[in-house]
Amino acid sequence: MPTLLELQRAMRASLVDRDDGAAAAMLAENVPSDRLNIYRNTFVTGVTKALRLSYPAVHRLVGADFFEGVAGLFIARHPPRSAYLDEYGAEFPEFLRNFQPAASLVYLADVARLEWAVSRAIHAADVEPLDLVRLSALPPEDQSRVCFVPHPSIGLVHTDYPADVIWRGVLSADDAALAGIDLDDGPARLLVERRATGVEVSRLDDTAWRFATMLCEGRSLATVFGAAADTGGDALLAEYLAAGRFVDFRLAPAEFTVLTTLPEIVS
Amino acid sequence: MSPPAINPPSPIPAKAGIGLRFQHHQAVLDVAPDVAWMEVHTENYMGGGTPLHYLDAIRSDYPISLHGVGLSLGSAEGLDPAHLERIRRVAERIEPALMSEHIAWSITDGTYLADLLPLPMTEESLNVVCRHVDQVQSYMKRRILVENPSTYLRFCHSIIPEWEFMTAVAERTGCGILCDVNNIYVSAHNHGWDASTYLAALPPAVIGEIHLAGHSVRPLGDGSTLRIDDHGSRVIAEVWALYRKALERFGPVPTLIEWDTDVPPLDVLLGEADHAGALLALADAAEARNADAA
Repeated sequence: MPTLLELQRAMRASLVDRDDGAAAAMLAENVPSDRLNIYRNTFVTGVTKALRLSYPAVHRLVGADFFEGVAGLFIARHPPRSAYLDEYGAEFPEFLRNFQPAASLVYLADVARLEWAVSRAIHAADVEPLDLVRLSALPPEDQSRVCFVPHPSIGLVHTDYPADVIWRGVLSADDAALAGIDLDDGPARLLVERRATGVEVSRLDDTAWRFATMLCEGRSLATVFGAAADTGGDALLAEYLAAGRFVDFRLAPAEFTVLTTLPEIVS
Repeated sequence: MSPPAINPPSPIPAKAGIGLRFQHHQAVLDVAPDVAWMEVHTENYMGGGTPLHYLDAIRSDYPISLHGVGLSLGSAEGLDPAHLERIRRVAERIEPALMSEHIAWSITDGTYLADLLPLPMTEESLNVVCRHVDQVQSYMKRRILVENPSTYLRFCHSIIPEWEFMTAVAERTGCGILCDVNNIYVSAHNHGWDASTYLAALPPAVIGEIHLAGHSVRPLGDGSTLRIDDHGSRVIAEVWALYRKALERFGPVPTLIEWDTDVPPLDVLLGEADHAGALLALADAAEARNADAA
């Protein structure tokens, strides 16, 4: 008699690896493969649907049949780990990048990376923005040690191709916009975030990108402003604080901070 | 283990409710339908943003039941503590009137198999499930309900009838039973059981909720048919008849209409709930007559 664990592993081999042998031998049924197929189909179609919901533009770019095919291969290689399927599919962009049959769509993995950031923003936990009173209550000498914690919905995506234009054009079925895309337009630096009205994707220039990445990586203000001196960093910081893009902060150890002139933080 | 004492009495009335799906979030707020309660899949509200905001708004007008589809009470390797904590956080925010899970498994070797897979009906499975129900009830600090599954296959070494398995879980853990009448009908057809015998074997005192849904029929390679619990159509007449039998045995119990495939307009769901509500009213009247006679 198989143990429960042996049985469950046999079922996994049937559903994920399409190896029915061990499971079929445990069944008290006729036509065991038909019955196992029902569970296998539910598994594959359910997880494919979860991927399609996270990657709608990829789905439209490659078409339903191609998507189903590549999703099936992806699912066998990276099956989900939990029933919280909104979290599933992080490896899909990289999988697409290395997927030879899609190699002619050079921008596909970039669009997928943007969609993953959008999906994460859609499902990110609700967290209250940082109460600015806490910041202004800091002694001035500690302000340079502030390292912000970004809102969990925030994503920064650097793409080689204009993934944002392709993504918008595909999802709004805007053929004119798609026809006007120049793939040689150069890279796009994108800020993805969930606002009260929905998820927004905006382009950052080079300065704003460096500033945003350092802030969101939790670098201290001393470091951020040391690297972005005289480039409007104070205005960017004010914008980020006002937009509620940070939810918390910690103080870097004093010995690692560099003294520098900081903008005055007001709440 | 006795049921945790701090569980408050269920504020969900013995009336008909509907499974709330994303397609109906806005319609429910716009129409404020006359339905006693609603149930959601816990896994759909584990993130933040729009779904949770809708549920926050809807829960202020309707009692909510949280129905988990992915905790995998029957996993040999134990429950995923991260998933348990995600469920707890949703419960903390929504303060559900009921919480339920399935007598099934869906995770092994760290892989989620995206279905409610059947357990072998063995003493080992019973011990695993009871240990996990105890764990969930301690972690959530409340009693849960466990639902009988629809199954499409059986294992050679199953020795415990499913109705006895369900009853034993309730007896050993103090949990309640969510009796899915459609699942009984489906599994009885698929395995040649007698649905009435199944119903008659369940202990009325622990039935905390009933589920009703539509199912489909699929041919097998040997010419026989399987009934598939796809929640994609109206409740069929035979299941309504079995539901009447369930009410005769259990008395009025909160009853949910589930619909997950090809989700129809809200009105269709409400129509199904009205039908259940009418049968519940009849059961109420019968219970009152019996009380008068006694």
